[in-house]
Amino acid sequence: MDDDIKIGVYVCHCGHNIADVIDVEDVAQRARKSGNVSVSRDYVYMCSSKGQNLIKQDIMQLGINRVVVAACSPRLYEQTFQNVLRESGLNPYLLQIANVREQCAWVHEAGLQATEKANRLVHGAIRRVSHHSPVEEQSVPVFPATLVIGGGIAGIQAALEIANSRHVVYLVEREPSIGGHMAQFDKTFPTLDCSACILTPKMNEVSRNPYIRLMTYSEVTDVSGYVGNFAVKVKRKARYIDEDKCVGCGICQEKCPWSTASEFDAGLGMRKAVYTPFPQAIPNIPVIDRERCVYFLKGKCRACEKVCEAQAINFEQEDMYIDLQVGSIIVATGFDVFDPTPIVQYGYGRLPNVFTSLEFERLCSPSGPTGGQLKLVSGRTPESVAIIHCVGSRDKNYNAYCSRVCCMHSLKYSHLFKEKTGGEVYQLYIDMRCAGKAYEEFYERVQGEHVHFIRGKLASIAAGVTDAEEDNLILTCEDTLLGNLINISVDMVVLCVALEPRHDTEQLSHILRLGRSHDGFFLERHPKLDPVATMSEGIFVVGCCQGPKDIPDTVAQASAASARALAMISKGKMEMGAITASVDEVVCSGCKVCNALCPYSAIFFDEISNVSRVNQVLCKGCNVCGAACPSGAISTRNFSTIQILAEIEGVLA
Amino acid sequence: MSFEPKIIAFLCNWCSYAGADLAGVSRSKCSPNVMSIRLMCSGGLEPAFVLKAFKEGADGVLVCGCNLGDCHYVDGNYKTLMRMTLLKKLVKQLGIEEERVRLQWVCASCAEDFVQAVNTITNDVKALGPYTQIKIEAEAETSRI
Amino acid sequence: MALITPFQEAAALVREAGGLELDQCYQCGLCTGSCPWNLVREFPVRKLIHQAQLGVIDFEAEYTWLCTTCRSCVQCCPRGVDIIDIMKAMRRVVAETGVSKVPDSLWLAVSNIAGSGNPLGQPAGQRGDWATPPTKKAKTDSGILYFPCCIPAYEPRLKKVAQATARILEAAGVDYKILPEVENCCGESVRKSGHENLFQSLAQKNMQAFSNAGINKIIVNSPHCYDTFKKEYTELGAEFKVIHIVQYLSQLIDEGKLKFSTEVKKKVTYHDSCYLARHNGIYDEPRHVLESIPGIEIVEMPDIKENTLCCGGGGGRIWMDTKKNERFSDLRLQQAKNVNAEVLALSCPYCMLNFEDSLIDFQGAVSMEIKDIVELVCEGIA
Ligand SMILES: Cc1cc2nc3c(=O)[nH]c(=O)nc-3n(C[C@H](O)[C@H](O)[C@H](O)COP(=O)(O)OP(=O)(O)OC[C@H]3O[C@@H](n4cnc5c(N)ncnc54)[C@H](O)[C@@H]3O)c2cc1C
Ligand code: SF4
Ligand code: SF4
Ligand code: FES
Repeated sequence: MDDDIKIGVYVCHCGHNIADVIDVEDVAQRARKSGNVSVSRDYVYMCSSKGQNLIKQDIMQLGINRVVVAACSPRLYEQTFQNVLRESGLNPYLLQIANVREQCAWVHEAGLQATEKANRLVHGAIRRVSHHSPVEEQSVPVFPATLVIGGGIAGIQAALEIANSRHVVYLVEREPSIGGHMAQFDKTFPTLDCSACILTPKMNEVSRNPYIRLMTYSEVTDVSGYVGNFAVKVKRKARYIDEDKCVGCGICQEKCPWSTASEFDAGLGMRKAVYTPFPQAIPNIPVIDRERCVYFLKGKCRACEKVCEAQAINFEQEDMYIDLQVGSIIVATGFDVFDPTPIVQYGYGRLPNVFTSLEFERLCSPSGPTGGQLKLVSGRTPESVAIIHCVGSRDKNYNAYCSRVCCMHSLKYSHLFKEKTGGEVYQLYIDMRCAGKAYEEFYERVQGEHVHFIRGKLASIAAGVTDAEEDNLILTCEDTLLGNLINISVDMVVLCVALEPRHDTEQLSHILRLGRSHDGFFLERHPKLDPVATMSEGIFVVGCCQGPKDIPDTVAQASAASARALAMISKGKMEMGAITASVDEVVCSGCKVCNALCPYSAIFFDEISNVSRVNQVLCKGCNVCGAACPSGAISTRNFSTIQILAEIEGVLA
Repeated sequence: MSFEPKIIAFLCNWCSYAGADLAGVSRSKCSPNVMSIRLMCSGGLEPAFVLKAFKEGADGVLVCGCNLGDCHYVDGNYKTLMRMTLLKKLVKQLGIEEERVRLQWVCASCAEDFVQAVNTITNDVKALGPYTQIKIEAEAETSRI
Repeated sequence: MALITPFQEAAALVREAGGLELDQCYQCGLCTGSCPWNLVREFPVRKLIHQAQLGVIDFEAEYTWLCTTCRSCVQCCPRGVDIIDIMKAMRRVVAETGVSKVPDSLWLAVSNIAGSGNPLGQPAGQRGDWATPPTKKAKTDSGILYFPCCIPAYEPRLKKVAQATARILEAAGVDYKILPEVENCCGESVRKSGHENLFQSLAQKNMQAFSNAGINKIIVNSPHCYDTFKKEYTELGAEFKVIHIVQYLSQLIDEGKLKFSTEVKKKVTYHDSCYLARHNGIYDEPRHVLESIPGIEIVEMPDIKENTLCCGGGGGRIWMDTKKNERFSDLRLQQAKNVNAEVLALSCPYCMLNFEDSLIDFQGAVSMEIKDIVELVCEGIA
């Protein structure tokens, strides 16, 4: 073996913890006999400062250049001992730990067998450490701008937090205006604040803040690079309206002769082919919908052009692609609502007066299609409503998860219905989930408003026949507390539909290289300890794109992620993991087997030299590529093939 | 003296190694015949490691990774799953009994799963007796799946 | 308070049959709400499930025998509980342990099957009589078996369906055989009513007979035979293919092997049987066959395809008495009448028995032809 290698072995007693089960002296003694071991000691607490000093002294005085510590799990003290090496002028990766506490002394009875196992583990570590070489830790500079994708309340909050600390934010929103779902609501639980009253000021702030570059009617089409330095391509769809010239007078919308169903009104109201989704839109600049505009469809009209005094209409505009450079990305794309049409028993789309929750929000809203009056399709005011929980949620046939906000907005609807009509309200629920500050209190308050709570899942809705000008709706369901099947006759039904992952989540997850959890939402790095970061360094997920949640939780997450982005900016650089894979270009045969395997797309193929290469910043060191390379060309630092083979040899010798 | 097998366990760093540590922290007892080697991910297990272990005199090999869906590296353990199927076939062709190779998912809080896997493979291998090397010498050097 | 039940061990068997999903039931009551029984009488499905969860089952209750295994509840259960499995387990416990009594009429049908291989108690030797004129017995070494189901083999009305089937197969030039001497009831209702051992022995006998005769494909009239052969026999190791006659007809039509020559000028509505539509997702083929018959106008009832309304005959119910005002088939017949159909087309022998009964229940208030699809096809090729 290599003469230059001088190994020091340090066996810890851990008080009685290890020493009572394993003959530590024997372990130290036997280690001494192995090749390349220059010194071997046992000590009562290796991790104490005295223990640490023993190692330091040996390194400095005896010229020890590889260290084996036989002690507790590397998951606990590896960093401590790495620091000992660092402080003694050795590269911290010239260390190997033999876990003789958790995985030996603590799981075995005292005796020969336990000692024999400890000896083997130490021997494996000795063989392995001979093959260790210094590993350099790397860091990358952070570009001080941030991209926020999605301009709902989550994206708005994140953008404002960052911009208010005077760093540039690009806020990319797909729709003509920011605001997201919250802009569609009338009131918000549990306080019943008017949604617009609390949201509009924030939207205005976004438009005024000089650090925010707002891009609406835009989408991210490509992301490359990595943490600290992402290159982003944004597609800005042509508005056909010159943003600099438009004064937001709205005359074009007024005069446009072509109408279509308004997405913002959940299809209940109409909008023009040239439109802003709602009066408080930010920016207050319309877009011409080329799918609906008759000029684009048939080549004739241009009525808007004639009436626009500012001469802002420009039919020649084209889609534009813009390149951005950012250090981190906050994803805030929100949710879609479940379409209940497949549940044919509920008759959505077939029976008039069966609405979704989002439609009900629009019916309640003063800016909605009925001016905030609750009306049946016939125009009559309903005298009764049934509010159905868990439509498409908590149901293995659709979405197994709970959508978290529906119990609460159902209560909100009960209150609003009572307030607006004084009619009867039936809530059909499975479990009432009102966990949140002041939520249970809100439940109590609504109970006090004489709402009928029926515990059971709605089975079906049928059109009943009455003398009135329109049919009422007959609901069938078991009241599980009574234990009886009951029929309820109501004028109106509200289906509280599930919050689902955006339909294009899959596509975005490819662009951003993000994982998704079983339910289809974006996957966070850790469900409890890191719920806003992702496995892609520098990319965060906030709000409902990570999973259903209410506005308070959404805002909290958005603020948390912006703090993380700001922390990176203020530090100026990011430390990267040292354990990464690399390709030996001489050995690589250019077969590309590894390219598709990497979960982080860190491997790219160099067509000129005909070899694969690993991007050191993206790689996280799992060695999935190394295990597959048929030429054995890939090696992961500190977990290289040679090192592991040596450890196997040592343990079994 | 009774036959005491030597078994190597390859554990991924994130779940399985933590699960094995937890077995110690909760003072569960398991057979001392299994020695673990830490990998970053079970998906980084090179088939050569397993063959090497047999070549160096191991009587059995245990491979542990996170539960499916929980791999720290997104889907490394699905690759483990596929590779282990192939590996078991290869091992069989080399004349090694399939039972000497075992795959077990062990989550970070699943100490008992780890203890059980350790005891099961120890008992299985004890029942089979020591592994006597047949063809592996030549194959181990060349075969990488 | 501890839960006390007289038949702890029996209840434990039911719990086991429900598996993990039984524990996951969150008592929403959707099963009760979707069960057709609750259109006509009380049947507290959710409560039975809860009793099974807790192991406090009243085996003596009439409820044990109600489920028609129509699968409405299983199809929509949000927690994936296989309610039918639990119902079957309750019956099996009764049948095997005697904690309570099997209803007499069901007992009779099951004993008949045990004795003579068919629920009607007809002599085994006469199983092939339907095939004497006008059809000739197909004697070939074909691997295709036509298995008519016990009812079409013996029951006078249904015999016509078997005969029509044979006629069509011959017209299309299909080389097939029949095995009346050796075949037995498939055992569907036997198993659904809890008589597991008898089912096993029937299945073994049939599988042996089929394999001795070199059968690799079976054509059936009954969706119940279809389901049992396809799922349960296969689980027991059977290797033959099964095809329901409507699927086969649809294929023959597409291949141009079945040509229609006569117009059948009728307004037809099709009743999906639970076992074709809900259990096996087969609802396009029967409609395709009907559409292909010249002259036929199809009208649809409200509850169709996988949301069909059960006739009430599954799960062994066909052999049990159902009170006059509790028959689902009456409701269904009314639906057919409401859409002004002249013919109610079927593809299941049980449905046929039930609807013929319902016609009698209505005492002339409804005039409707009840026909199997094969009979309509037969008219079209005449
Ligand atoms: C009917 C209903 C009532 C509710 N009532 C309440 C309530 O009273 N109180 C409460 O606290 N919570 C309520 N909630 C929950 C609340 O809606 C959410 O907590 C909140 O809207 C989440 O905000 P978000 O920004 O994450 O998502 P969203 O509001 O969905 O915003 C996402 C934004 O991203 C944009 N976007 C999507 N994809 C892309 C893309 N690829 N590129 C660019 N932009 C994109 C969208 O256009 C949208 O503007 C309710 C939910 C529903 C369904
Ligand atoms: S439908 Fe399913 S979850 Fe609901 S009560 Fe019935 S068995 Fe339980
Ligand atoms: S299978 Fe049909 S009859 Fe049986 S309980 Fe379910 S819905 Fe009722
Ligand atoms: S990290 Fe445990 S299997 Fe991949």
